[in-house]
Amino acid sequence: MSASISPTLPPSVALHNGNGSKPHRTAVLRAEAPKPRDVEELCEKFAAVCESAVHPLQIAGALEFDGWSDQAVRKRYGVSDVFALAEEMYRRVPRRPAEPPPQPDPWRISKWRPALHGLLYGMPTVCFAAAAGLLVGRGVLSVMIVALLSSWALSQALAYLGYMRLGQGVPVQAQRVLLAGLGAGIVGVLVAMDFVSVAVPVYKPVFIFGLGLGSYMLGATVLLVLGAERLLFIALAPGVVGATVFLLLGRPEHLEHVAWAVLAATPLLALGLAVARTSRGAELRRRVVRRPGSKPPKLLTMADLRSALPSAGWGLVAGGLLVFPVAVGMPDHGGVNTGALLASLPLALSMGAAEWMLVWFRRRTQRLLRGTRKLGAFATRTRLLLAAALLQYLSVTVLLTAAVTAIAAESGLIRPTWSAGPQVAAYMALGCSMFVSLLLQGFGSRIFPLAACAAALALEIAYRHFWVLGQIVVCTALLAVLTGYAAVVLGSAARHAS
Amino acid sequence: MKIAMVTEGTYPHQFGGVSVWCDQIIRGMPGYEFELVALVATGAEQVVWDLPESVSSTTEITLWGSPPGGPRSGRRSGFPSRLVRRLIDSVLDMSPDATNRFGEVMRQLFDYAQRGNLSAALSSGKAVKLLTEAWQDRWPHTEQTMPTVQDAVTAMQLVEHCLRPLSHPPVQADVVHVATNGLGVLPALMAKWRYGSPMIVSEHGIYLREQYLHSPKLPYRWPVKTLYLGFLRQLCALGYREAETITPCNIYNRRWEEKLGADPSRIRTVYNGVDPANFPMSDGEPEVPTISWAGRIDPIKDLETLLYAFGQVHQDMPQAKLRLFGSPPKGRESYLERCKALVAELGIGEAVVWEGHLDKVREAYNAGSIVALSSVSEGFPYSLIEAMTCGRTCVATDVGGVTEAVGDTGLVVPPGSPARFAEACLTLLGDDSLRHRLAAAARARALEFFTIDGAIGRFDEIYSFLAAGHPLPVVPPEPGAGDLTEDQPDDQPEDQADDALPVEAAV
Repeated sequence: MSASISPTLPPSVALHNGNGSKPHRTAVLRAEAPKPRDVEELCEKFAAVCESAVHPLQIAGALEFDGWSDQAVRKRYGVSDVFALAEEMYRRVPRRPAEPPPQPDPWRISKWRPALHGLLYGMPTVCFAAAAGLLVGRGVLSVMIVALLSSWALSQALAYLGYMRLGQGVPVQAQRVLLAGLGAGIVGVLVAMDFVSVAVPVYKPVFIFGLGLGSYMLGATVLLVLGAERLLFIALAPGVVGATVFLLLGRPEHLEHVAWAVLAATPLLALGLAVARTSRGAELRRRVVRRPGSKPPKLLTMADLRSALPSAGWGLVAGGLLVFPVAVGMPDHGGVNTGALLASLPLALSMGAAEWMLVWFRRRTQRLLRGTRKLGAFATRTRLLLAAALLQYLSVTVLLTAAVTAIAAESGLIRPTWSAGPQVAAYMALGCSMFVSLLLQGFGSRIFPLAACAAALALEIAYRHFWVLGQIVVCTALLAVLTGYAAVVLGSAARHAS
Repeated sequence: MKIAMVTEGTYPHQFGGVSVWCDQIIRGMPGYEFELVALVATGAEQVVWDLPESVSSTTEITLWGSPPGGPRSGRRSGFPSRLVRRLIDSVLDMSPDATNRFGEVMRQLFDYAQRGNLSAALSSGKAVKLLTEAWQDRWPHTEQTMPTVQDAVTAMQLVEHCLRPLSHPPVQADVVHVATNGLGVLPALMAKWRYGSPMIVSEHGIYLREQYLHSPKLPYRWPVKTLYLGFLRQLCALGYREAETITPCNIYNRRWEEKLGADPSRIRTVYNGVDPANFPMSDGEPEVPTISWAGRIDPIKDLETLLYAFGQVHQDMPQAKLRLFGSPPKGRESYLERCKALVAELGIGEAVVWEGHLDKVREAYNAGSIVALSSVSEGFPYSLIEAMTCGRTCVATDVGGVTEAVGDTGLVVPPGSPARFAEACLTLLGDDSLRHRLAAAARARALEFFTIDGAIGRFDEIYSFLAAGHPLPVVPPEPGAGDLTEDQPDDQPEDQADDALPVEAAV
């Protein structure tokens, strides 16, 4: 055998084997897999590839990967090259592609999580009841409304940004955003409340309670986005337990200050735990050794902030719709709106049911996508699922309201009267509207629910002299409009792209 | 002069072969200004390479993050029904001339994307409806594979993601150099359509072949794969047809390029190169006959063949050693376990050493009397040309660009054939003068053809010609890969003529 340096590219001879003498060993340790004798056998060997090939070239790729070269197939099967062989195999073997293995269901969640969330949303109600003695005097209503609305708006925006970053698969970035947003949010609530206290004189403890409320909302949002429900329970524990004991004891006056101090522990804990949970990520981020000259990734761009605006707006408007009946009060009950009090707790609890129904709807529509071949059939069945989800949500909310009313009546906290019925009905319609809004938002439609809810709030304010009748009409109309829109939008399969 | 270099999922956000190559080119040509256009997944990726001074900017185009478009209204431009229908038709059409129609459609989609919201149009219900109609019209297959609503939605979504580059402003440069075919040609085509910039398509592995090989792992039903891979096939074919120059890293790849419509006269092979300063001539050989292997421990490397072969070497030459340098990729250690079990089964545990990862890979080559590579698939393996630069002869399998790298300075055997592999190893280990002669030849060959300076010089030349608007100078035509194997003498004895076949073991 001679070996000389090839004078020019390309090298032209692949040196197969050595000098042509017969191999001299007697034992072969591995019986090499016998090579298919003819194309038919080759097709059998490559059956899986051929049956699911989308093009002859795909078979050619597989043949080459198995070690077949043009020269080899030419000598063995008498075809011109691998491509020709692949085309022949593509012709011979009919397409019978295997189905892909079932994919993990991204909407699979624990049954307990929505119930847990409902509890988490409902529990703070007890704290309000316990703090009733604190919330008196001038400016209370304004401060509470501003604190609620600003913190709702900001926490909706914060949740949107946090989930967006989590969705990009960078938990550390999500933590940074949440931590920064928490700080900015508290400043925002503080500024909003300062504006109010300039306009109306505000009793200091009320101001502090309002700030505590806002801080709790933002801290709880951070913990929920990060899936730290357990920490949120820890934060809620002192306030809720303290408030419950205080209420059960019949609000003893000498314990009032103790109760308030215990209440204050909840927002402080929520804030502390939220900071602890996010600063770890921010710290990790700082310690990452960065190459000189490379810039750290931007926390948020203007476009990110702009995209959070509809969420903030919706938080503001939804909050407005919820507190509006309380704000205007009732003409004939000394300002106390029994219906609003009766509906607020079940509505908060029902948000857990809403979460569950959102997931249920997703899973059912995903199954429908996989099992339907015609777009028309898909649209019809999706609308039926929408109706079913709405009905189920409504049933749960009615049951919760009945249960809460019964308990409230039994324990003598509130004396329900039939006259509160229309107000409760208005809240039911509003709750359903919130549910449909959340559903639409989950499918990427954020502007329409915002616009519809804003219009509804404007109408309620404009026709406030109709009291509860106006609210019933507006909320029912809102529900009808949102449901109609959802029926149109969600009927389109493209909306269900995961 | 300004060069725009387009990458997909590699430089400057990831490490790996293609990134090394990009870095070598940019650093090797400090006289050019480079603008990087990097196609990335979400935009959360970080730059992990130190960018040379000559890189004036990096533009990231995200394929999977939030969609582009924003303020531009799709309504103003209207839904491009005709365009989307023609896109679907040209992708589902398997005839060769469909690529021309696909090219026209791409150009019109680009025009549309520059004034309207293409992402919104492609992810709309109307686009899904058009696809289901097209499928219904031409579905030639059995009931079982009928597309579902989910398939239509998923397929349109994939196409929408792939076409996102069209909504970005086209890059302005004297030459656009695409590091891999595939989605990376979109920014190059846009620059060509808008400014007439010439484009170069480089290729390491064949993009389409890799997509096909990966496709069994895709979680989609067959109809979705048909549309998605059909789209990529048309796009690759368009890239080859539109490129002023195609620069594969081995001649072997030309087969696919020409099959997909590349004009052979536009193909210029530019081999990968190594820096000889990093791989100096080895001084001396190990005392016992040693076979060295270096690489990632992965099934594609077919270490089983090497181990079986070594089993035979061990029988004939009990003092011989096999040293394996490298580690498995994280989370895929099971292959290493299988190989270790095989070593035990063959009873060669005494002679086989798993060396693990090595920082200075040249020491792995120095550790062997010869270097082995038993892969079932390769592009143009760095490990061979590095070993050759160190002055080592190789035994390697005939895959990808291996024969081009080794030439006649080593022995190339069919893949998957332990007997042939063992025989080649024994030939080299047993004949000192042959081995030394081949080793010297290997180093000379590597220094002549596979240096980084050589690669940079060729690109420098191509850039200057294209930027000046000249066609590339006429060079003697490179033979196709088919020709590579034509030179086998016909008068071989019967058993020799069979050599190239991956057939029965030589017993």
